[in-house]
Amino acid sequence: MKIFITAALALTLAHPVTAADVVSAPAVHGPATGLADSAALRATVFGTPPQDIAPMPDRVPLLEIDIPMPWAQRVPQIFWYDKKLRVWFSAQKKPAPLAIVIAGTGDDGNTSSIATLRGALYGAGYHVLTLPSPTFPGFIVAASRTGVAGDLQQDGQDLYDSIERIVAHLPRGVQITDIDVLGYSLGGANAGVVKSIDTRERRLHIHRAVMIEPPVSLFASMERLDKLFAQSIGSADEGIERLYQRLFAQLANFYRASDRVELDQSFLLSAAAAVLTTDQEFSAAIALTFRIDLMNLSFAGDIYARTGAIVDPNHPPAVGQSLEHIEEVLRAKPFADYFNEVFAPYYLHHRPHSTPASLVADNNLKIIGEALSHDADYYVQTNSDDLILDANELGWLKSTLGSRIVVYDHGGHLGNLGSRRQVADMLEMLAGRWQGGAHGQEGSAP
Amino acid sequence: MSRLAGRGVGATFACLSVLLGGCVSSGIVVHHMPDQTPAADNAAAIAQAASLAATQKSVRSQERSGAVPPVLKPADAPPLTTYDPWERFNRFNYRFNARFDEAVFFPVANGYRRLPSPIRTGVHDFFGNLAEVDSIVNYTLQGRLGRGVRSLGRFVINSTLGIGGLFDVASHFHIDKAPTGFGTTLAKWGLHPGPYLVIPILGPSSLREAVGLLGDYGTSYGINIADLYRGDQGYGLGTLNAVDERANVDFRYYATGSPFEYDIVRFLYVRKLLLQDAGLHKTRIPKPPPGAPAGQ
Repeated sequence: MKIFITAALALTLAHPVTAADVVSAPAVHGPATGLADSAALRATVFGTPPQDIAPMPDRVPLLEIDIPMPWAQRVPQIFWYDKKLRVWFSAQKKPAPLAIVIAGTGDDGNTSSIATLRGALYGAGYHVLTLPSPTFPGFIVAASRTGVAGDLQQDGQDLYDSIERIVAHLPRGVQITDIDVLGYSLGGANAGVVKSIDTRERRLHIHRAVMIEPPVSLFASMERLDKLFAQSIGSADEGIERLYQRLFAQLANFYRASDRVELDQSFLLSAAAAVLTTDQEFSAAIALTFRIDLMNLSFAGDIYARTGAIVDPNHPPAVGQSLEHIEEVLRAKPFADYFNEVFAPYYLHHRPHSTPASLVADNNLKIIGEALSHDADYYVQTNSDDLILDANELGWLKSTLGSRIVVYDHGGHLGNLGSRRQVADMLEMLAGRWQGGAHGQEGSAP
Repeated sequence: MSRLAGRGVGATFACLSVLLGGCVSSGIVVHHMPDQTPAADNAAAIAQAASLAATQKSVRSQERSGAVPPVLKPADAPPLTTYDPWERFNRFNYRFNARFDEAVFFPVANGYRRLPSPIRTGVHDFFGNLAEVDSIVNYTLQGRLGRGVRSLGRFVINSTLGIGGLFDVASHFHIDKAPTGFGTTLAKWGLHPGPYLVIPILGPSSLREAVGLLGDYGTSYGINIADLYRGDQGYGLGTLNAVDERANVDFRYYATGSPFEYDIVRFLYVRKLLLQDAGLHKTRIPKPPPGAPAGQ
């Protein structure tokens, strides 16, 4: 559902197009993208149906903790509200292991996916600490040393140091018997890297890492989402306008026919299911969600790296100033532009021996391939129809992890997160009870 | 935010916020949030899925039968840009509201949310019942007499069987809550939302909706039911009403982390108004002048 809502949010980012520019969209039936099948797209958009969600506890206590990181850079004026890192903590009343959960691309540490994982983990007896993705603007501003997010090692180090500081400042009386780390999507890759850093630095003594549907090559995954944007939406200008007009008209017709008075969240949920029906619309919703995350990432990265690609470094936008012209520039920028204009210039400058090709190679799970292959405390859960992986990448994960990976037949990207089977397997893995052979490597979604 | 909420927001909050504002040490701020209830939330989601499916089915059958003319075409959608001639002022207010919310409004409402649920529900139903009076007046002004009678029925049932509105008995009889206000009346009369307006403390609005709020307050103050609106008790009740409303809104300023949050909220707020407007006019949809931004 996050995808639908953020897709709606993303529509804010376009500017008007004259009527002559508006070409009616061709009706599309069947797979629009060639990247994923219809079921995978649908699962990715709508997530796990509530009746398939794993058993949840009745009550989970929750603390919201805002904590400053001493290494954070000076906060640009426009990010005045992001001075401290915001994380969430749920404490057991008795000594218990701590599960640390890292969110996926662009997410903060309190999304609906996080809430589901928190419920499952707390119910299984863990203290639960949840953190935003290092690509979330709040993390970039409050906890990144560079401000240019997306580098696996750098983000992993920033995360690792943040976790150490947060754990040291948890409320008195919380007794931690063991520490495990998890993450979904990009957060899965981050979790693996955090454990590998801990193996070297031994400051937290992280025991196990469970990586839920991680990418293998970060940049290949992101380029795949850009391709989805190009195929399902088209150009940023006319494509977004066209999609917006169609969705607005469908929502309005649905509302007029529903005879409801209040336009509340439950109405919007049913309307979402009613208006998003074709593969092209599913693809567009997924691609737009990624694009809006990318806009935040690019904007923050450009301000910190002072590349001048998006804003004039000598005259950054002031608080209270309209940002519409910046949005117009950003919404048309695919991931390749972030890489070429912000990410690569920054890291090539700060890592003298690097090349664009080496930056791409460094942002691949293969940098911890040795550990994934030999350390029995790394686990992976993924889906055979996950749209952020291709066949080669899935094959590499399987051969590297061996019996410590479970591959579900269906779920798209995160479309089975929180399901009974996914949660049961995740808890087995965290507890060190996972018997890959007993289930067989291939599992099916519930 | 409505009716009584405009009164008595200031000093009480400042005192309470010190008490409830969270524990502070070495720059670390800890807020105790209300307990999460994932099991109940999921059960509610399953129940809702069934009712959503029913809504979808009835809408599809209505669409097929052509019972809701005229159907909007994509070309009828309002433009992507929003009419915001007071943007600088609005952005200033948005930032002020974010700071006020973080320092005062949210901590107080968050503390309030930790009270036992029956107390909070009673308070919420009490204010909801008072608002029925305004709904009766406005449904009448909108010429929707059937809905006006429903609101009247709810008010009578809840004020008597519901002990002064503390219990929403009418909903148990399937007479569901459907509040309206003067802003919606103005929309029904054909007024566009007008310029986007961020009201200090209250948040996103438009010129039409702001006039509507004044109208609602004037109506309630004029009728002055049970003498609640005039005199000193109005301040206390106004504060409680404001806290109740904030506690029932699941929104945190800058939870998106995005520097574009102002634009996002403006877009969604005005599109929601325009969707509601489209729902009000079953036979004729008022259109802004060609080329004008949405809301004008």
